[in-house]
Amino acid sequence: MTSAVDPTFNIASSVAAKPDAVQAPTKVKVEGLNFYYGQNHALKNINFEIPEKRVTAMIGPSGCGKSTLLRVFNRMYDLYPGQRAEGQVLFDGVNIVGKELDPTIVRTRIGMVFQKPTPFPMSIYDNIAFGVRLHENLSKSKMDERVESCLRKAAIWDEAKDRLHTSALGLSGGQQQRLCIARTIAVQPEVILLDEPTSALDPISTSKIEDLIDELKQDFTIVIVTHNMQQAARCADITAFFYLGELVEVAPSDVIFTNPRQIKTRDYITGRFG
Amino acid sequence: MSLAVRRAKDYTVKVVSTAFAVVALFLLAWILFTLVQKGLPALNLNVFTRMTLPPGHEGGLLNAIVGSLIQIGLAMLIGTPIGLLAGTFLAENGKTSKLGHIARFVNDILLSAPSILVGLFVYAFLVNPFGGFSGWAGSVALAILVIPVIVRTTEDMLNLVPIGLREAAYALGAPQWKVVMMVTWRAARAGIMTGILLSIARAAGETAPLLFTSLGNNSWSTDLSRPMASLPIAIYQYAGSPFDDWVALAWAGALLITVSVLLLNIISRLVLAKTG
Repeated sequence: MTSAVDPTFNIASSVAAKPDAVQAPTKVKVEGLNFYYGQNHALKNINFEIPEKRVTAMIGPSGCGKSTLLRVFNRMYDLYPGQRAEGQVLFDGVNIVGKELDPTIVRTRIGMVFQKPTPFPMSIYDNIAFGVRLHENLSKSKMDERVESCLRKAAIWDEAKDRLHTSALGLSGGQQQRLCIARTIAVQPEVILLDEPTSALDPISTSKIEDLIDELKQDFTIVIVTHNMQQAARCADITAFFYLGELVEVAPSDVIFTNPRQIKTRDYITGRFG
Repeated sequence: MSLAVRRAKDYTVKVVSTAFAVVALFLLAWILFTLVQKGLPALNLNVFTRMTLPPGHEGGLLNAIVGSLIQIGLAMLIGTPIGLLAGTFLAENGKTSKLGHIARFVNDILLSAPSILVGLFVYAFLVNPFGGFSGWAGSVALAILVIPVIVRTTEDMLNLVPIGLREAAYALGAPQWKVVMMVTWRAARAGIMTGILLSIARAAGETAPLLFTSLGNNSWSTDLSRPMASLPIAIYQYAGSPFDDWVALAWAGALLITVSVLLLNIISRLVLAKTG
């Protein structure tokens, strides 16, 4: 077995050159992170840096720990007794895994969009305003502005503007997911975590969300978990491959998808397992 | 197994289950029919405008109707917040805690406790020590009956709210109380309201817990510290009496309770369907 990548493998053709990918400053730094679901050791000594205002993709087969890591970044695991993290996740130099830091503060600065769209059972407007009202006291006109700008940024303003005060549950799945992105942006986080954001969506909605991700990295640091390797290749500047709770390889996406260093990575991206 | 046998089985199950559904519906319709047949002729203006009077005096049920409304209203005022918050605790915090397990267990027992026991309990704690039967005691007894129903339905309904919806709210940096009040309650509100209405229906029809607590009162009284009339007790007294006009009034009272509960359910369903 050679370490060269099969020349017929052509994901590489969809990878844009991203020479500046690694030159950005580090936004989140993971140091010696271990994670446990009760007795189950789900993440093993992860060391990893996420660059600012770039898109970082985490890929790997089911159960490899990529979603677990994502949920560590905004302390979502805190909701469940029996789940615990050891080690450090430095966000602008502050360890966010420490017990002393209030998870609601972490979550305000590191937002998250989930696999299944989760609109709240309220109007489109209130879905956006809900998060904003938690942290800011805006006047009616300022709130209107905020709602509009977030819906515009999430590319759903045109579809939503005439029905702002109707229930968000009436939107289609793709629209709901863009609303959830708008809702996350509205809180003005610095990092946005996306947990397989398009796996429940049709191809057209998926491509809209991918375009959106490209736009959003102007303002936000983005971390995306995906099962879709073409998506990682298309969207991400950096890709990290996880396997059985370990970080196997992390590199600029064009490198990972054309010339991975690890045999395991190559086998996964060429579809030999996973 | 051949296709014919499978079809026959499928058909049999369908027929049997339909038959039993029809039997259940038939019994219900029969009760309703009897109620309307006997209650409707007795239902006249006097029922709503006159007090309960001795036989032969063309009395009504006004004091009983008002007494029931007061006691049920007060019971709901006491029971709804307690039941709602306890049910919320069980669903949101009490899944794994010891307190949660104990509270859920006690609630299940309370749910199936005979209502006469609740009446005796309140008699021992609120009637005897405070020198007599009272509307307060009746309301508290009804509240105790209502609480476990609300706790159970609230917990069940909140458990049906997808975990993802809660996580999405937490992910925006919301503290738990806001997640509960703004998102999970809202998502479960139709079910929770149904539970509260069910409990009103339960309270409206209870006689036993009122026998030892508010006792009943044949004259007009809205004083909660004195014995208070109620529809179920009036029905209980009148239905067993040898006087035809009292028996007719008992039917009218029974029809009144049933129709009120039915209307309450239908109206709330319509309202909830509209607000979605």
